[in-house]
Amino acid sequence: MSTNPRDMPRREGAFEREPARRVFASELRECRYQFKEGEDEKSPTFVLLPTGERSNRIFIVGTLTEKSRQGEQNIFYRGRVVDPTGTFFVMAGSYQPEAMQQLARIEPPQFVAVIGKPNLYQKPDGAFMNSVRIESITVVDKDTRDLWVLDAAKQTLDRVDSFNAGTAPDVIKAKEQYPTIDPAVFRRAAYDALAQIKM
Amino acid sequence: MDYSEAAERISRKFSFSGQAVDVKKIEGKLRRLVDEFGVQPQEAERSVTNELNKEFNIPAAGSGGGGRAGSTNEQKKIAEGLPGDWVTIEGKVVALSAPASPSIAQSGIIADESGAIRFVAWAKSNAPAMAEGSWYRIESAVVDEFKGVPNLKIHSGTTIKEIGEDRSLIPTPMPIKDLHTGIGAVRGKVIQEWDASHERMLQSGLLGDETGTIKFVIWKEPGREKLVVGSVYTIFYAQIDEFNGRLSLNLNTATIMQEEGDIPVSGGESEVRGSIVHIAPGSGIIKRCPVEGCNRALSRQNYCPIHEIQPKFVYDLRIKGWLDDGEKTHNILIQRDVVESLTGITLDEAKQIAENNPLGMDEVFLQMRDKVLGRYIICHGREIDGRLLVNECERVKFDASEHAALLNRAGGAS
Repeated sequence: MSTNPRDMPRREGAFEREPARRVFASELRECRYQFKEGEDEKSPTFVLLPTGERSNRIFIVGTLTEKSRQGEQNIFYRGRVVDPTGTFFVMAGSYQPEAMQQLARIEPPQFVAVIGKPNLYQKPDGAFMNSVRIESITVVDKDTRDLWVLDAAKQTLDRVDSFNAGTAPDVIKAKEQYPTIDPAVFRRAAYDALAQIKM
Repeated sequence: MDYSEAAERISRKFSFSGQAVDVKKIEGKLRRLVDEFGVQPQEAERSVTNELNKEFNIPAAGSGGGGRAGSTNEQKKIAEGLPGDWVTIEGKVVALSAPASPSIAQSGIIADESGAIRFVAWAKSNAPAMAEGSWYRIESAVVDEFKGVPNLKIHSGTTIKEIGEDRSLIPTPMPIKDLHTGIGAVRGKVIQEWDASHERMLQSGLLGDETGTIKFVIWKEPGREKLVVGSVYTIFYAQIDEFNGRLSLNLNTATIMQEEGDIPVSGGESEVRGSIVHIAPGSGIIKRCPVEGCNRALSRQNYCPIHEIQPKFVYDLRIKGWLDDGEKTHNILIQRDVVESLTGITLDEAKQIAENNPLGMDEVFLQMRDKVLGRYIICHGREIDGRLLVNECERVKFDASEHAALLNRAGGAS
């Protein structure tokens, strides 16, 4: 059972939990800007999605295609979760013991639902790398995957629409941070993802 | 330091209103405050003035009544009395309640056609005891505020006369959403009964009408009876308090009439659709305290915070967690029958798992988590204190028309 304080709802009621954004792999892959709200050590960190929404947590459903155990002293697991648009790199370390145990038990390939925190790294060669630190991962069925594709497509389209309206502070920030990205590509990605669901 | 000037000032003030005061005595009081208690001279003057005001029942300046000279004996309707007013009212004592402290001789509710107000007669006031159901003329009482609720204070300067009135008063019930602190009348249905959170509590629960819901409380007192869940009541003279920003009805002073029939209740019910993103500890199979009216969840060591060790606990199922729609995360609490239908694990099966498995109750938690985490569901329930109490829940089904509409939307506009 969870004794991890990270999993406990802090002072229920008083606190607003960060919602889990629905985002396709092709959009998360483009993130280059990460920021912190507030000075506090515990202030949440956000990744700015190119469609102009901050995200401290994401919810994804896809296929776990591979997983691997790494590290000697500090064991951690890595995995790849694939959605219709690309791949998410997920990981769970000893700071997420429950998530690690969950991931350790799952044998790919399987449909999985992942709730986690997006993280942005810069590799020594300057390339950016987006990964998802797993809070929890469970095996789900194809129906849930299809529902997620609808959900992620709808929310992506909503974000693209408000990006085009162009007034929200995070949209303005996104336009500054991602001057070369045309959000029309995410509309296209949503279409392609939807088209992959067989009727 | 010389206090004679200030004392003179005070004495002059009171001789205006025809009161003779002893200058030497005032001087002594001022000296005591300033020299002994380190009070600022100005503040001391004010405090002595106020003390004398009280002694002579003169409304203190700045308390609201002071500005309106001669308002002392102005007869008012109860509803017109505002905190700070000195009033004379005529009304019927519609409820008496047990005094909360020995310094209170009597407390209760007095009403007229315009409304009702709680009154407190201080023991020091030597006021005659009033009888429930009789009419009185109360002269020179003060309206003040207690816990945000107007309160009629009967002090030593108040005169009370019984008057030979015998009118019946019928308050008009208000829609629940329009209720505010004070004394109010409602007509509503008891839609929920909650576990008593205090041993002095007789009953608490939720009362609803078409406009909303409100919590009610009845404290244990001779002659008080529980309300029946599902019944409709007309309630006069309930005390409406505010606690943590939420209104609550105290029915101990109220006149309660049970009614025949049913009324529609709509308030509070909400629907949330999303995916379950977290199952909190304390979900799955839990043990509850078997003591009548307690029902608290026990710790792993079968320990109830009130009734200590309870080896004869009762099992129950629940899921506490977060339902997330991508924009907002909702705290949800799913009760037993809904947990059973959502997870497909009945209470009996859960008991079996808990008793025959090395992980015990944790195994139930894990199995339930694996069955619901990350799934899309629609929850119906009532939101209380920021948490949705789920009484109905279904899995979201794939909707081909939604799929088609989204394809059009994604392919269309660009």
